Amino acid sequence: MPTVPQQISPVEEQEKYLHDALGVVKSQAFHMNRALDKNKLMDALKYASAMLAELRTSLLSPKSYYELYMAVTDELRHLEIYLLDDFKKDSKVPDLYELVQYAGNIVPRLYLLITVGLVHIKTNSSSRRDILKDLVEMCRGVQHPLRGLFLRNYLLQCTRNILPDTPESDVDSPEGTVKDSIDFVLMNFAEMNKLWVRMQHQGHSRERQHREREREELKILVGTNLVRLSQLESVTLEKYQKMVLPGILEQVVSCRDAIAQEYLMECIIQVFPDEFHIQTLTPFLKSCAELEQGVDVKKIVICLMERLAAFSQRSDSLDSDGTTALQDVQLFEVFSDQVSSIISNRQYLPPEDMVSLQVALINLALKCYPKRIDYIDKVMLSSVEMFHRLGLDRLEYHSSVAKELQKLLKIPLDAYNDILVILKLKHYSGLMQHLDYNGRKALSIYILNNALENDTIVPTPKEVEQALSLLNTLVCEENENPIGDIDLEELTEEQCLLARFIHQLKSQVLDEHYLILTVARKILGTGGPLRIKYTLPPLVFQAYQLAYKYKNSNEEKWEKKCTKIFEFSHQTITALVKAELAELPLRLFLQGALAIDQISFDNHETVAYEFMSQAFSLYEDEISDSKAQLAAITLIVGTLEQISCFSEENSDPLRTQCALAASKLLKKPDQCRGVATCSHLFWSGKSLASHKEEAHDGKRVVECLKKGLRIAKQCMDVSVQVQLFVELLNHYVYFLEKGNDQISIDILNQVIKKIKDELPNLESSDETEQITKHFNNTLEHIRIRLESSEDDLIYKGIEI
Amino acid sequence: MMSFFGFGQSAEVDIYLDGQETRKRAEVKTEDGKKEKLLLYYDGETVSGKVNVSLKKPGSKLEHQGIKIEFIGQIEMYYDRGNHHEFISLVKELARPGEMIAHTSYPFEFSNVEKSYEVYTGGNVRLRYFLRVTIIRRLADIIKELDIAVHTLCSYPEMNNPIKMEVGIEDCLHIEFEYNKSKYHLKDVIVGKIYFLLVRIKIKHMEIAIIKREVTGSGPNTFTENVTIAKYEIMDGAPVRGESIPIRVFLAGYELTPTMREVNKKFSVRYYLNLVLMDTEDRRYFKQQEITLWRRGDKVRKPNIQAPAIMAGTQNLENTTAVYGQQRNGDQGENDSNADNNESQEAPNKEDFLRSQSNDKLNNSVADPFDQVNSSPLDRSPENQIQNMKREEGDGQNDVANENVE
Repeated sequence: MPTVPQQISPVEEQEKYLHDALGVVKSQAFHMNRALDKNKLMDALKYASAMLAELRTSLLSPKSYYELYMAVTDELRHLEIYLLDDFKKDSKVPDLYELVQYAGNIVPRLYLLITVGLVHIKTNSSSRRDILKDLVEMCRGVQHPLRGLFLRNYLLQCTRNILPDTPESDVDSPEGTVKDSIDFVLMNFAEMNKLWVRMQHQGHSRERQHREREREELKILVGTNLVRLSQLESVTLEKYQKMVLPGILEQVVSCRDAIAQEYLMECIIQVFPDEFHIQTLTPFLKSCAELEQGVDVKKIVICLMERLAAFSQRSDSLDSDGTTALQDVQLFEVFSDQVSSIISNRQYLPPEDMVSLQVALINLALKCYPKRIDYIDKVMLSSVEMFHRLGLDRLEYHSSVAKELQKLLKIPLDAYNDILVILKLKHYSGLMQHLDYNGRKALSIYILNNALENDTIVPTPKEVEQALSLLNTLVCEENENPIGDIDLEELTEEQCLLARFIHQLKSQVLDEHYLILTVARKILGTGGPLRIKYTLPPLVFQAYQLAYKYKNSNEEKWEKKCTKIFEFSHQTITALVKAELAELPLRLFLQGALAIDQISFDNHETVAYEFMSQAFSLYEDEISDSKAQLAAITLIVGTLEQISCFSEENSDPLRTQCALAASKLLKKPDQCRGVATCSHLFWSGKSLASHKEEAHDGKRVVECLKKGLRIAKQCMDVSVQVQLFVELLNHYVYFLEKGNDQISIDILNQVIKKIKDELPNLESSDETEQITKHFNNTLEHIRIRLESSEDDLIYKGIEI
Repeated sequence: MMSFFGFGQSAEVDIYLDGQETRKRAEVKTEDGKKEKLLLYYDGETVSGKVNVSLKKPGSKLEHQGIKIEFIGQIEMYYDRGNHHEFISLVKELARPGEMIAHTSYPFEFSNVEKSYEVYTGGNVRLRYFLRVTIIRRLADIIKELDIAVHTLCSYPEMNNPIKMEVGIEDCLHIEFEYNKSKYHLKDVIVGKIYFLLVRIKIKHMEIAIIKREVTGSGPNTFTENVTIAKYEIMDGAPVRGESIPIRVFLAGYELTPTMREVNKKFSVRYYLNLVLMDTEDRRYFKQQEITLWRRGDKVRKPNIQAPAIMAGTQNLENTTAVYGQQRNGDQGENDSNADNNESQEAPNKEDFLRSQSNDKLNNSVADPFDQVNSSPLDRSPENQIQNMKREEGDGQNDVANENVE
C-alpha cells in the first residue's frame, strides 16, 4: 500500500483535510435529506449528528474550519425547515429538545440543540426566554476556542431574528423582553471573547504571528455580538448606558488582551449611534485609560472624536436636537479631562501619540466649537504641561513627536487663516518653543506664508511685537545655530517672505502705524547684517508712505511728525550703512530725498540736503567698483534732477559735485557717460532759484557735452570711441530739439563726420553692428525731422 | 418419550393471566442478551389467571399425578448453574391426581404476593420471577413456565442532598463539582456543574460516564463486574481557571436498573458517576461518585411546565466568579443544616486544600477509586474532603464501553 508522500505542504494538507471533511458532510447530508424525505426523523437526526461530528476536528485552520462550518450549517437549514413544517402540525418539540441531548458528543449535540431550540421558539414563543437562556448556558461546554467560537456564532446566527425586542414590563413575560436579549448577547459575547483571547495563549510562542493572523480572521465573529446588540430597537439610550455599555466594557477591560481591546473599542464606536456615544463619553474614555499597554488608545480616542466632530457638524445643519445634545454634554471638557487622564495614566504611551491626542482634541474643538478659541488655548496649555512633565524640550526636527507637534500648531492657522487668532492664543508660542530651531523656522515660514496668502494685516504695535517674536527664528540671529551653517539662498528666500510680510504691518490710524514701525524696527534691528538687508528697506518705504499719508491728512502737527518719520528713516538707513552696506542705503537715501522733496514739510530742504549728502558720502566712501560708481552717480544725478526744493546755495554745490564726481570716474568711457548725464542737471534740473522751473542753462550743458567729446577722443579703443560719439550725438540731438540755442549744427556735423570716418574702420562684430544701427537710427530720426517739419529750422545745415 | 413413540397422551399448557391484554409490559433482557416484553407486576400485586390445558389427542385421556402451579422468585448465579436460590416459592394445587379427558381450565390466584426485588439480568447473575405449571406424570412431567417482570417502585426519597466535592491533583488541577442530587430515578436528569479552580494541564475533553458495578457472591467467591453504561461528553477543549461547565445528563436514554444492595445477600448492583478528564496526552483523570438509582411510579406527577426538565439546571447557573463565590457561601449554609449527609459538608477553603496535598495519590494508578468515598464516610476529617483525582496512564480506553448514541 503506498504511503502518503512525506513532502506534503501545509497548504495541501489543509486542502486535503478539508476535502475529506466536506466529503463526509456531503454524504451524511445526503442520507439525512433522504431520511427527511421519507419522514424518518430519527434516522435523519442520526445522520445529522454524524455530519456534525466533522466539526469536532482539530486539524483545520480557521479558514478551512469556516468553510466546513458553512457547508454544515447550510445542510442544517434543511433540517430546520423540515422540523418547522413538521411541528406546525404536531408539537412534539419538547421531546425532541430532550432527545437531541442524548447525543454523546458535545459538539454535534449542541448544534442539534440550537437547531431544535430555534424551531421550538418559532413554534411556541412562550418558551423563548427559557430556551435562549438554556442555549447560551449549555454552550459553555465547548471550551475549545475555534470550535466554541463557531458554535456560538451559530447560536447568534440562528437567534438573530427571534431575539425578544420589546421594552421591559412589570409583567413577567415568558417570551422575554429586550433585557433578556441583552443578557443573552452579552453573555455570548463575553464567552466568545474569552475563547478568542485564549487562542493567543495556546501553542508555541514562536508561532505568535501566525496565531495573531488567525485571530484577526476570527475577530468578526466576536464583533457580531456587538452588531446584534446595536440592532435591538428597544435598546434605548438608558438601556445602553445602564446595561449594554457597562457589560461590554467590563469584558473588554478585564480580558487584558491588546488585540481584543483595540478591536472591540473600535467596534463599539462604529456599531452604536453617535447619540449614544455623546452621552457615554466618560465611561468609555475611562475604560480607554485602563486598556493594556499594547493598545493604540490614541487611535481609538481619535476615532471617536472624529466621529463626534463629524456628527456635531451634521446635526448643526440638520436639526436642533443634536446641537442641544452637544450643549448638554460638555463634549470638549469631557474629552479634555479624559485625554489628560489617559496621558498621565498611560506612562508607556509614546509622546507622539500624546501629541496626536491633543491634535485630535483641537480638531474636535474647532469643529464643534469654532468660536471657542479658549478651548484651543486650553489644549495648548495642557500640551505645554505635558512636555514639561515629560522633560521634553527642543524636539528634533525630524522626530515623530516634532512632526505631530508641527501638525498641532498648524491646525488653528489652517482653520482660521488668521495670524491674529494665533496671537490671541496665550500658549501658542510657549508650545512652539518645544520645537528645535529648524522646527520653529519651518513653522514660522508656514505662518508667514499663511499671513501672506490671506493678506492678513497686523494692525497694532502689540500684535506686531507678538508676531515678530513668534517668528523669532527668522527675525533674529539665533545663538544656537552657528552662522557658518547658514544657507544664503535659503536665507534670502525666508527673508523675502518676511519682507513681504512687513508690508502688512500697518494700521489705518497713522500714529499707530508709526508706532508699529518703531516697534518693528526695534525687533528687526536684531537680525544682523544678513537679515536687515531684507527687512529694513520695507520699513523705510513704509515710513515714506506714511509721511505721504500725513501730508494728505488734515492733521495739525503733520509737519513735525514727518520730520520725525524722516529722522526714523535716516536712522534706519544708517543702520544699514553700519552693516557695511552701501548701494542699498544710497538708494534709500535718494528715495527719501525724493519723498521729502514732494512732501515739502517745514524745513524739508535741510533734511533733503542731508539725505543727498549722505548719499554722496556713501558714494564717495563706500562705493569703489567703477561700474557701481557709474550706476550710483547716475542715480544721484537722476534724483537731483527731480528735486526742486533746493535753493541755489544748496543746489549749485550739489550739481557741481555731481559733475565733478562724474569727471573723476576712473574709466574714460564712464567719465564720458557720467559727464553727459550731468548735462541734464543743468537743463531740466529745478531749484528754488529757478522758481522750481527747469534751469535751461544751455551753456553749461554744452560745456558738459564738450567735455564729454574730449574725453571720448581720449579713448584708445576706436570702437568704444565711436560708441561714445554716437551716444553724445544723441545727447546733442536731444538738447537741440529741446531748444538749447547754445548748440550749433557744426558740432553735430563734426560729430557725425567723425563717426562716419571711423565707422568703416571698425572690425565687424556684433558690437559694431549695434553701434552702426544706433547711429543710423539717430540719422534717420534727424532725417524724418528734416522732412516733416518745414517750419522748424533747427536742423538747417546738417550734413547727413 | 411417550409422545416420541407416538402413543400416550400429551397436552399443551397455557397460562393466561388476568387482564393480560391491558396489563403493561416491560422489556426484560434474557440471558442471551435478547429482549422480551413481559407482563409487569409490582410488589404486593395479586397474580391470578387461568391455566388452560389442552390435550393434543382429543378423545384419549391424560393420566397425571396432580397439577400444580408455583410462583417462584429466584436468583441464578451463572457460575453456579445448578444452584438456584429461590427467595420466594408459592404453590397452588390445581388438580388432584386423576385423569383428564377434555380440555380443562384451572383458575388460580396468588393474592398479594410479596415481590421485594426487581427482575434483573446482569453479567453474572439473574433475578427472575416466573409461574410454573407442572402436570405430574410418571415418566415425564409436563412443565410450563411463564416469566413475568417485576419492578420495585420507590417513593420520592426524603433525603436527597446534592453531591458536592472539591477534587484535585497537587499543582495541576483543582476542580469543584456538583451533582444536584445523590438519588436519581430512572427517568431523571442529572444536573450539575464543574467549576475549575486551577488548571495547569492541557485538558482535551471531559466526560461523565455512568458505571454499573455488579458484585456477586461472597467471601472468596466474590465476582465484580464493572460496565460502562454511558459515556457522555460534557466539555470539549481546555477551560481556564474560573470556568464553570454545565452538566445535564438524561438518564432515560440509558439501560439502567434501580440500585440494588445485597439482594438476598447474593448480589448488589450499584451505579457510579465517573467524572473523567482527558489531557492532550490521553492521560485520564477521574473521580467516581456513587449515585442511587430508584424507580419511580409512572403516574407520580407531571413535570413542571415552567421549567421543563429538558432545560433543568441552566436556570440557576450563573457565570461570573463573583456570583459563584456567593453561591458557595449560600450552599454552605444549606449544607450545614444537612450535616448528617455524608457527601455534603462545609465547603473547604484554600488551606484545607493545601493540607490535603499530603494525601496525594497521584501515582497509585490502579488504586481502588472507592476507598475514601464509601468505606468510612463518617470518620472523614475535613481535610480529606478534597479528594485526589485518580490519574490513569494509557490510552484511556480501558473501560468496557457501551456506546450510547441515541
